[in-house]
Amino acid sequence: MKSIRLFLLLSLLATITLVNFVALLHGYQSSMEKAQSLFDSRLESTARLIASANSEQTMRQGIAEQQTPFTYFQIWDSGGKQLLTRSRNAPEFVTGALTEGFHEVNFDSYRWRNYVYRDQHLNRWIVVAERIDVRYSLAEEVVLESLLPIVIAIPIAALIIWLAVGIGLKPLRQFADQVLGKRADDLSPIQLEKVPHELVTVVSNTNALLGRLDHAFQREQRFASDAAHELRTPISVLKVHLHNLKQRLGDDDEDITLLKTGIERMGHLVEQILALYRTSPDQASARFESVDLYKLAQTVIASDFLQFERKQQHISLDGETAILSGNRFALETLLQNLLSNANKYTPPGGEIHVIVKPFQDGVQLIVEDSGPGIPADQHERVFERFYRFQGDRHDSGELGCGLGLTIVSHIVELHHATIRLGTSSLGKGLAVTIHFPGEK
Amino acid sequence: MLLNAVIIILREVLEAALIISVFLALSQLLNRNLWWMLLALLVGFSGATVYALNLSQISMAMEGTGQEVLNAVLHSVIFISLLIFMISVPHQAHAKWRQLNLVTIVLAVITAIIREGSEIILYITGFFGIPDLLSPVLMGSAVGAGIGLSVGVFFYYLLVNMRTSYGIWLGYLILLLIGGSMVAQAVEFMIQADYIAASAPVWDSSAIISERSAAGQLLYALVGYEATPAPEQAAAYFSSIGLLIVAAGISFMFRGKTS
Repeated sequence: MKSIRLFLLLSLLATITLVNFVALLHGYQSSMEKAQSLFDSRLESTARLIASANSEQTMRQGIAEQQTPFTYFQIWDSGGKQLLTRSRNAPEFVTGALTEGFHEVNFDSYRWRNYVYRDQHLNRWIVVAERIDVRYSLAEEVVLESLLPIVIAIPIAALIIWLAVGIGLKPLRQFADQVLGKRADDLSPIQLEKVPHELVTVVSNTNALLGRLDHAFQREQRFASDAAHELRTPISVLKVHLHNLKQRLGDDDEDITLLKTGIERMGHLVEQILALYRTSPDQASARFESVDLYKLAQTVIASDFLQFERKQQHISLDGETAILSGNRFALETLLQNLLSNANKYTPPGGEIHVIVKPFQDGVQLIVEDSGPGIPADQHERVFERFYRFQGDRHDSGELGCGLGLTIVSHIVELHHATIRLGTSSLGKGLAVTIHFPGEK
Repeated sequence: MLLNAVIIILREVLEAALIISVFLALSQLLNRNLWWMLLALLVGFSGATVYALNLSQISMAMEGTGQEVLNAVLHSVIFISLLIFMISVPHQAHAKWRQLNLVTIVLAVITAIIREGSEIILYITGFFGIPDLLSPVLMGSAVGAGIGLSVGVFFYYLLVNMRTSYGIWLGYLILLLIGGSMVAQAVEFMIQADYIAASAPVWDSSAIISERSAAGQLLYALVGYEATPAPEQAAAYFSSIGLLIVAAGISFMFRGKTS
């Protein structure tokens, strides 16, 4: 069943048509039979009237004025041998048996229904006949007049059913529209103006499901956020203890170096998890504002400049003012992650090139580096959570947790932007191209 | 007059409605696009009009047997389409078979509408010069068409609302019976055109179910019921059903080899 409305319209209309038309045929047959019996009664009365109006027993030739070509009468003597009188169109012979009652006879290329009346008083036979086809047409004309409204009513019924079913299905349509129109982060209950009995269970179960989903999301968000916050404190304490340990044992101790790397990795991981949940489209109730991405890129590069300097990398920013509608904090996180990746995987002395410019009604951001790049078959996978290309055996030996590009993809999704990974123009390195839609 | 019109139009509409509703339902059950039906209906109605307008030339052709021969050909085309359809259904996974399957459905629907539609047009236009009879004929035609289409709608929804496998089997069964009826009617036309010698009827069941009764009309459309069939008609009917069953069975057995 492709459409409930069409199913209801067609099945109801087919039922109404079938029932009405079968009833119509039955009514037609009954009415026609009734009409025939009325015509017969009239024929009988006419025969009696003719008998009383023609009391002469002498023979007359075609005396009677012809009333209509569809009827005739004859008056025969008691033996049926002599025709006493007749209408002008009547035959001069006996068309059927002279026995009292109704008969069907052939005359003048037509079928006639006659009534033979025995006039006991004057001892003679009166024959009155009518053309059957004319009787039938007359009866049919009358009957059809009464049945015509039933046929005309069908298209009207179709229109009314179509509208009524449309009204009946309105709550279902409203329900579907509300479900369809929900944003990814909107888990509020569905409100219908009037909920019909048939939809009560569906609406209440859907709302209960949305409620459970909302609670689950909130719980997950709270847990991740709380866990990350709670972990920050012990990590800070660890860093203090590490500093004290370094004072006592000196910087050259291998265990101290390993411990430092471990604590830094844990700190980075906690920060990234926090960023991941803050920027997730399911969670973020983003406040959008006009942001100049070029200016923002300048700020981020300036604040992170030290890390590039440490590896003696050459970083450049090209482009011009590029305004887009976005969440400033999220866009800053996006730039930080892309630049941090470029910094990590570009060898010392390498190049990093950032381009921000207006492009096709929107804004284009390109971050490319002269690092080792990522093979094309890995482009999809690197956006997965905790996935790192070549894992911990990565040539760079850099600190990472595999969340950077996942965070980037969340922010891209949040801004309805598109992201594409490719090969850098600076060699075989990675080029990340993001296209943000323009301000609406 | 009204009853005559009802019976004649019902007979034609019911047959076409049954073919269309079964094909529509099977197309839906086999996940086929339904837009082709609109195209087939349009082409069918145009073909029916062309046929009706050129009836006198068609009748004069082949020494006055043109109409009978053309009708026999149209019925045969429907049967061949049904045969290829049934053979192609088990090989739906193969693109070429799917294409062939669609072509047979479209061809069967177009041919059925040309055949039945031309009869309807000829019958109704025959009364255009007789104003006294036109009104009951038009009303009878509306009633006959209404009943026929309603039955078609019920068949369609019965098939699509059944469990898919049952719907397909019932659809197959109806197509088998329609196929037998088509060949029997083609033979009847060839007997009328004197290409096949007429023989005495195998049986006469008109006292039990008259061909002119409502039940007779429904049975005619459903199973090709004839109260007084010639032996050739009966033989054609049963052998064509047998051929459809064997062809569909063989195709079903070899379905894995083409997919």
